[in-house]
Amino acid sequence: MFRYIIRRLLILPLIMTAVSMLIFAMLSLLTPYERASLYVQDISKRPGAIDSIIEKYGLNDPIPVQYWHWLVGRKDANTGEIEGGILRGNLGWSKTGKATVWEVIARRMPATAELAIWAGIPMILIGVGLGVISAVNHNKLPDQVLRVISIVGWSIPVFVFGLLCLMFFYARLGWFAPGRLSDWAMQVVQSDSYRVYTGMYTVDSLLNLRLDIFRNAVSHLVLPSVTLAYLNWAYMLRLTRSSMLDTLSQDYMTTARAKGLTERLVILRHALPNGLIPVVTIGAIMLIGLLNGVVITETIFDYPGMGSFMAQSALSLDVISVLGITLFSAFILISGNLIVDILYGIIDPRIRLD
Amino acid sequence: MTVIKKLLRNPTSLIGIILLVGFVIIALLAPVLAPPPENARDVYMIPRDGFNTQPQPPSPEHKLGTTEGQFDIYYGVIWGTRTAFRVGVVITLLTTLIGLTIGSLAGFYGGWLDEVLMRLTEIFQAFPFLLAAITLTSVLQTVYGRGEANFLVMTAKGLALLTFGHNPSQDLDPIQLQILTGMLAIIAFGWMGYARVIRGNILSVKEYEYALAARLVGASDMRILGRHLLPNAVFPVLVLASMDIGSYVLTFASLSFLGLGAQRGYADWGQMISFARNWIPSLADHWYIVVYPGLAIVLFVLSWNLVGDALRDILDPRMRGRGTGL
Repeated sequence: MFRYIIRRLLILPLIMTAVSMLIFAMLSLLTPYERASLYVQDISKRPGAIDSIIEKYGLNDPIPVQYWHWLVGRKDANTGEIEGGILRGNLGWSKTGKATVWEVIARRMPATAELAIWAGIPMILIGVGLGVISAVNHNKLPDQVLRVISIVGWSIPVFVFGLLCLMFFYARLGWFAPGRLSDWAMQVVQSDSYRVYTGMYTVDSLLNLRLDIFRNAVSHLVLPSVTLAYLNWAYMLRLTRSSMLDTLSQDYMTTARAKGLTERLVILRHALPNGLIPVVTIGAIMLIGLLNGVVITETIFDYPGMGSFMAQSALSLDVISVLGITLFSAFILISGNLIVDILYGIIDPRIRLD
Repeated sequence: MTVIKKLLRNPTSLIGIILLVGFVIIALLAPVLAPPPENARDVYMIPRDGFNTQPQPPSPEHKLGTTEGQFDIYYGVIWGTRTAFRVGVVITLLTTLIGLTIGSLAGFYGGWLDEVLMRLTEIFQAFPFLLAAITLTSVLQTVYGRGEANFLVMTAKGLALLTFGHNPSQDLDPIQLQILTGMLAIIAFGWMGYARVIRGNILSVKEYEYALAARLVGASDMRILGRHLLPNAVFPVLVLASMDIGSYVLTFASLSFLGLGAQRGYADWGQMISFARNWIPSLADHWYIVVYPGLAIVLFVLSWNLVGDALRDILDPRMRGRGTGL
């Protein structure tokens, strides 16, 4: 077991290096001039600015040298200070966010994390629960109904679903609103007497004993988290269903039944623990779904997280921000995959032999 | 043949097939159903009726209403069917082709080649798909904005030929270029799943007696791969992959919705829905901007999914003998 974890951990830096190379390869599709212009605010006012930036940051150096500088930073010839370097947490300057990319991520991450948690928990419970129901009733009515629902659900794009939600529950009924907080609540949150612990409004408001803020934050979270959850539950249902079906056809299930156990006991004690093992991989799939999903969900609901920032930056061709966020997301995804792999190895010893 | 018979006998896949046939007919008859204006420069640009910013509800002149800027929704929905088929078919074709090449080379030759190709696949998979596609789109748009000839322009020209029948000796049409950029980004990060499945299948059939027998009689690598392994290991994968057309149309629509796919006013469903973003507080009145193009996407994707789901049951040997579902 220990060796398995070590082996997995050793792969991590290798993959991260390769991923960073691919990101840099995309960056190097741009000419030095284009890359320099990403840093200049108003090109027409400062004609010589671009050349000096190309000079200063060595954008004409050979690609491997540039990659190295991009990775670990570059010593400034005049001041002797080391500048840049993604390993030192410097992802560059974001034109769109008017701050460093890292600052933007730090500022917007709590909002996205909050949304992901609110979407993720019901998503797992509903998806896995319905998947088990579907498998146990294989080819009976509940299975077929769920199957049709999941295919239809799978065919509705997130942005259509989200806009329909807004159309009914915001524009027509006025129950929920886009954004993250109402104006009055935002003023309270930004005031001095309100302490920020996590940046997640639903958590902070409880710690500040402000139930009104909590209620307001939740009412803003309902629609986006339903939209984000809806994106994935159908997929989870299918994964759980097929894994459970596989387990249910095993010989030990027949044995359990032959022993005279009740069907309920057979399912709960023999099928579920084995059938749900592959479902752990849902963790990884869900993470992918959430990282992709927040871009569109946050854009529709005008929710100030990383996803909507990604969309804004891409629209204004702010390549530095876009690459920075993609690199950060890839890092989250790879770490998530690693954790899932290790968990999988702990739960299912057969995996470790691989 | 039995597969097709089974699909026609299964009620859900039958609905899917009927819907698909309907979409094909709409696409073919687009010039009849929604005749383009006589002097149209590009028939895929939705004709405008004035420049009023306020969307207009359905009326006798505009059967499904107009978006802001008075783009006719009916025209866009009809011609958007053609865009959907083009984008979906070409992306599916190219992603499976790349996956097929990489997967079969890795599976067949094994060794270091397998190792290199599979690590490459893993790296591409380490990115969240949509984020990677968005990133590549924004980089490519900058590169293409430059307008000089290079490898990427050649690629885009090839894609333009395949998608729009555009003559490669002519310059790229800027309207088409924006669509090609989105498609390229999706293709670049879309092939990995196919490569892995095909590699796995090749690995499992390569040791069968018939493959060894072919080797024994001195058949060349290419012949073993082409005549014996691919038809057995890959055909079902390709049939199933063809059903992914729906989900690629959905992905492309998402890019368009974000403003990174088709350009404003192009007959593309995702692009049309993106107009709704400016009218969210009054969506209850302007429902037609979302509902009509939205319905088109949902039905299109649904039809592929319905057929694909039934096909999966038929082709997946593990499910055989347990009834074919619905």
